[in-house]
Amino acid sequence: MTPTDPQHPTFVHPAEEAFAGILDFYGIKWEYEPRTFPLERDAAGNVVEAFTPDFYLPEQDLYIELTTLRPQLSTRKNRKLRRMKELYPEVNIKLFKRREIRDLEVKYGLANNAGPIRGAATQEKEV
Amino acid sequence: MTRSLAVDYGELASDISEILISPEELQQRVVEIGRAISHDYAGKNPLLIGVLKGVVFFMADLLRAITVPIEVDFIAVSSYSPEASQRGVVRLVKDLELPIVGRHVLFVEDVIDTGLTLNYILRNLQARQPASLEVCVLFDKSEHRLIDIPLKYKGFDLPNRFAVGYGLDYRERYRNLPFVGLLKPAVFQNVAKD
Repeated sequence: MTPTDPQHPTFVHPAEEAFAGILDFYGIKWEYEPRTFPLERDAAGNVVEAFTPDFYLPEQDLYIELTTLRPQLSTRKNRKLRRMKELYPEVNIKLFKRREIRDLEVKYGLANNAGPIRGAATQEKEV
Repeated sequence: MTRSLAVDYGELASDISEILISPEELQQRVVEIGRAISHDYAGKNPLLIGVLKGVVFFMADLLRAITVPIEVDFIAVSSYSPEASQRGVVRLVKDLELPIVGRHVLFVEDVIDTGLTLNYILRNLQARQPASLEVCVLFDKSEHRLIDIPLKYKGFDLPNRFAVGYGLDYRERYRNLPFVGLLKPAVFQNVAKD
């Protein structure tokens, strides 16, 4: 999938779009939020909590989750990741935290993206 | 910084908060890697290939630590940037001058991080049908790894911090420091304000 592909997804956060652009540049195949992993069901079997990693790299069989939340605000996401690793130990998933995303953006010359990550706007919504 | 250096690196050194790997530690490890390569590639006339620009410091020292006949060549690839991505995908901006078909190739890299660049280069080189293709990396920053790449020789693990020196740069600076050090946060935190 590439940014010019008609099937190109609408990204929730600019950091996701930047990440997809880097993967495209280096010829790495990716899928955006292709699978949701149920984490908890109610008594009737309905899924009441689930986790959907942002990216899947099929050639690496690797899921990628990006989070731009400040560490003190990412408790819920960290708990979900821990739960996912308990329930799906065979699934390879890598978490890129706020500082790591920023490092990547600086490394790849995306300074304009690196700035907003430090701002309060990214604290409003989990991505 | 607490360790003294033979040369005063002035403003470059003043941007460093901590020396991670001293010049002596670098040279000792490079000699060890050179010794291992000399043993493993004896009689194979290997071709060492590096990707410009950061590898030149490591390559220069490594070549002099190898005691068997070798040849060397360099390539250069375009780096990702928003502007480059508009023009398409990564591309070779300087190709090899030597053919590698049937050769024992050792790809030498200063640092592996995500593995994206190295993965691209290895795919490119593999398509040219070398007799063998292995990787020698001096610095491994594995926390960001996206592509799993086997490393035949590795020098040091680096923490997930802004390290510079001995070929590692930040905005093209600090490569000429003879040690590897951590950049003061104030230096790179100003990047978004430029």
